[in-house]
Amino acid sequence: MSEDMQRIITKEELNAKIKELLKENEIIIPKQLLNKGIFYQKILDTDNLVLAEGFATEPIKKFFLEPSSWIIKEGKDLEQAQTKRIIIGARPCEGRGLELLDKIFDAEYKDNFYINNRQRTLIIGLACDGPDRCCFCASMGGSPVEARGMDALLYTPLENFMEHKGNSLTGYTFADKYIVEVITDKAKDIFAPLGKELDAETKKNWQKDKEKRINALQKKISPPESMDDIFQSDYWKEVSQSCLSCGVCTYLCPTCHCFDLVDEARKRLRCYDGCAFADFTLETSGANPRPTKKERYRQRVYHKFDYFKKNFGENLCVGCGRCIRHCPVKIDIAEIVANAPIRL
Amino acid sequence: MQNIYLPYTAEITRIKQETPDVKTLSLRFTDEAVAKNFSYKPGQFVEFSVLGEGESTFCISNSPTRPVRARTPEVSDGCLRQPGSNGASIECSIKQMGKVTQAIHELDVGDTVGIRGPYGNGFPLENLKGKNLLFVAGGIGLAPLRSLINYCLDKRGDFKILTIVNGARTSKDLVYQDEYENWKKQKDTSLHLTVDCNEENWTCMVGVVPKILEQLKPTCLDSAVIVCGPPVMIKYTIPALLKLGFCPEEIITTLEMKMKCGLGKCGRCNIGNLYICKDGPVFNLAQLNKLQYSI
Repeated sequence: MSEDMQRIITKEELNAKIKELLKENEIIIPKQLLNKGIFYQKILDTDNLVLAEGFATEPIKKFFLEPSSWIIKEGKDLEQAQTKRIIIGARPCEGRGLELLDKIFDAEYKDNFYINNRQRTLIIGLACDGPDRCCFCASMGGSPVEARGMDALLYTPLENFMEHKGNSLTGYTFADKYIVEVITDKAKDIFAPLGKELDAETKKNWQKDKEKRINALQKKISPPESMDDIFQSDYWKEVSQSCLSCGVCTYLCPTCHCFDLVDEARKRLRCYDGCAFADFTLETSGANPRPTKKERYRQRVYHKFDYFKKNFGENLCVGCGRCIRHCPVKIDIAEIVANAPIRL
Repeated sequence: MQNIYLPYTAEITRIKQETPDVKTLSLRFTDEAVAKNFSYKPGQFVEFSVLGEGESTFCISNSPTRPVRARTPEVSDGCLRQPGSNGASIECSIKQMGKVTQAIHELDVGDTVGIRGPYGNGFPLENLKGKNLLFVAGGIGLAPLRSLINYCLDKRGDFKILTIVNGARTSKDLVYQDEYENWKKQKDTSLHLTVDCNEENWTCMVGVVPKILEQLKPTCLDSAVIVCGPPVMIKYTIPALLKLGFCPEEIITTLEMKMKCGLGKCGRCNIGNLYICKDGPVFNLAQLNKLQYSI
């Protein structure tokens, strides 16, 4: 990969480019759906194109690890999808989520469906300009302005941000200008002909602004170094008491990846599954190694903040806050981890 | 790139009714290249599927030193020895329990099934070399041990005294009965059969496995013990073995948990930061203690 490239591009330039890219690519952007929230959807044209400014309810995980997808048909392998896709407006936490998923699906045993989805998709992220109360990416080694796991990152214009107050959950206008940080060569092909280079002054302001956005994060936690000593603690029973086992946390998590293999007629599906469900580990004999919510919730916390860290050196959490935002009983995994006792 | 979830196809060449609810299926890979290259260790397992019904995890129950001879569905008396060759075909013993096993039990010779694998670490053969081995099996738990026992018998010089303790609920539930005579005949090898409750015409031992171990008092010197059976049996057998003086490093067991992928991805079979499917299923007690796995 060649050296980093940054450009300032206008809304019109980006729109025109998207229109051009639409001819050969599927374009996916976060769209505000009336009374439903923000969801990533395929667009068919660029008229009235708006990049939703809040956080999408579902992460972009679903385009790489589908909620359910065929893996075998009539006992035979399936042809891999070939359509090229571009996701525009994904958040930095979601890009990081993919990097973590890569460690599982693009590792020892390679999942060709996931890898094909990764290879055929270009991700142009959108840096966050205002965290909400549930965001804690910086505590998880991330940042609202980083481009990890993505091909390029759009940055809303500085002047707009300076005027910006509070969080941005309600407004969603496509900004007039963007700074674009280009990471991969694939993205360079798209952005090199657009806009102009940044002058020294803008660069300086941009760095300052990045820091400002990182500092705007209110929620800060530090997970314990080790949770080995508290595996048997009653703490896990206490904190999981109110859990409804609905599984929304696992469904919406950018890094939760547990799945089931299910047969339907002469096809086999890979579907989302999750440790929150009682039958996830229920055996045919009736035995269940995780019989109560205590064991199930503990599994979720340990998988994210202990097991994965032991195996890969990072937490399996990007601090996007989705599981907190959407939990019907307001369970806050960040608080739970931060407040975990040191010993039994 | 390969589809890691796509099974090899295998044809059922023989079905043997072991007990009223356990069948042993002999399988031959349809693809000759697969049949030639499929090699495994005792203790490894496969994902066995009937398309449309589902996929389940079963250990390979024959020894790689005793591949089932291919294309001989008429052979009825079990394994034919071909020492030294790769496992061209495999056997799985399957207890009728749920949806997938029900579907498997309905299959006939000549039907095709899906096999993915072999997966898992298998038994630590190098560590077992030169030791007295105690095999403790309960019910269908003899399946992975049968693979290891026959492996040891075929490489008899590598191991010292072999002691097999095999328990079942009733005498009808004892699997691989046609192999017992052969095992007993082998040099420095003993077989102790036990059933939970006394039965008419039963001449072997009576009582649950931990009790039998207390009676037999097998030596822990220069020994390793390999335990496999239902969780409740393992739970009470481990303390009995510790009492007999076996150290946790020498108490080896093969774990079972619901598995789907067999590749350490689907997230079911975590114990600590390890996966039973990928890092196990064979662990020693010292490892399990460290993982805070409660048996």
